[in-house]
This record gives sequence, structure tokens and C-alpha cells, in this order.
Amino acid sequence: MPSRTATIASSVGLHARPAALFVKQANESGLDVQVARPGEEAVDATSILGVMTLGAKHGEQVEITAEGKGAEQVLDALVTLLETDLDAQG
Amino acid sequence: MSEVLAPCAGRVLPITECVDEVFAGQLVGPGLVIEPPDGIQTVVAPIAGAVMKIHPHAFVVVGEGAGVLVHLGINTVRLEGAGFEVHTTQGSTVSVGDPIISWDPATLPSEAAGQAISRQVPVVVLDAPADSLDLSDLPADVVPGASLFALP
Repeated sequence: MPSRTATIASSVGLHARPAALFVKQANESGLDVQVARPGEEAVDATSILGVMTLGAKHGEQVEITAEGKGAEQVLDALVTLLETDLDAQG
Repeated sequence: MSEVLAPCAGRVLPITECVDEVFAGQLVGPGLVIEPPDGIQTVVAPIAGAVMKIHPHAFVVVGEGAGVLVHLGINTVRLEGAGFEVHTTQGSTVSVGDPIISWDPATLPSEAAGQAISRQVPVVVLDAPADSLDLSDLPADVVPGASLFALP
């Protein structure tokens, strides 16, 4: 399954606002997208509860995986999102 | 049908009036905003369940098949816990009305790390579709424990 590693750029981590934006984009892909700390159990990246429970912090690495058509592009876009400081955009 | 009760006192506003556009756009989920009064107060669990996530300024209780996020103020993550007293731990089981976090909205700075701070408290059902709650019968003001809306 295609996967990417991203470093969380948001200064507050994947908290409410950045988490919501990440989940929105994962949902819009229409694919089965999962996110995890490397080597740990993955959570559903299309669930805000899942992503907030994961609670990835600023500077932490996460692995995202996606299954289905266009998965590579979806992952590239999600990596770009995670590696942007979403909180800086207000 | 399970109900979500008010986690704090204050004036009730539609979620669309939240100063944070991500909450206002229901990207986190549908719900409402409570604008609490000045003074030290304890925010309580809006539903019974497990404390899935606890920060000094926000918490999620999962129970009754839903997750409810209570966020104490906007951009308050920037305060890094200053001014908040947490009364529970991640993973604890809570009953509705159990004390979770104490704070005093009057002591909030107007901004932190360049971001405007607001005392608005979004109460949101996670992973529920936008506009999926019946919010037609909301009171203008609530006391802690007042009925807000039914879970979808």
C-alpha cells in the first residue's frame, strides 16, 4: 500500500483546527486513508475523533497510507498539508 | 436518545457565529458555541463516557456512540495550559456533569503568539455531518447541566 512519512509542522500539533483540515482533505479523496506514528497502530484519517486521539505533536513524524485510485497524489497532497503550519494561516 | 448537556454556563450561539472559521464551518463537527461569563468556573462532562483526549484547554468525551469535543476558548492552545486546572486524566470514565477543567474566562489575554484569544466554548459532535443535529429548540442562556441537543 502506498505510504508517506510526514513531519507535523503545525506549532500546536494535529489539534482541533489542523486536525479538521487534514481530515477534510482525507475525506475529499474518497479513499481509505490511515495515519499512524511509525510502527504503531493506525487510525482512520477520515475520522476527526481518530486523528485527535492520535494527537500527533509538532515535529513528530507520522506515516500516512492510502489505498485506491490516485493514492500517490492523495498522499503527496496530505504530506504537503501536514508539513504546512496550518495554524499560521489563522 | 442520548442528550448532550451544557458543559458550562453562558450565552448560547449558533456554531456559525464562532470566531474560528474552522469551527464555524462545522469542519470539526456540528454543535454550538457557549459564551461563558466572567469568574472561576468548572467545565463539566457533557455526556457520560471515556475521556478520550484531555488538554488543559479542550477535551473529548466518547460515549453513547459519539465523541463530543468541548474547546475552552479559541486559540487557547497557545496559552500552553496557563490558567487551566485539569481535574481528570486521559482514559478515565466520567459521568455526565463530572468536573473536567476549571478556568476563569476573565483572565484570558486578548492574544497569544500573535493569535486573537476568544472565550467562546465550542461544543461539537465529532465525525457527525454538518447540520445533522436538531438545534431548533436552543435556550438563549444555559446553566451547567442544562439540556442542549440530542445526539444524532
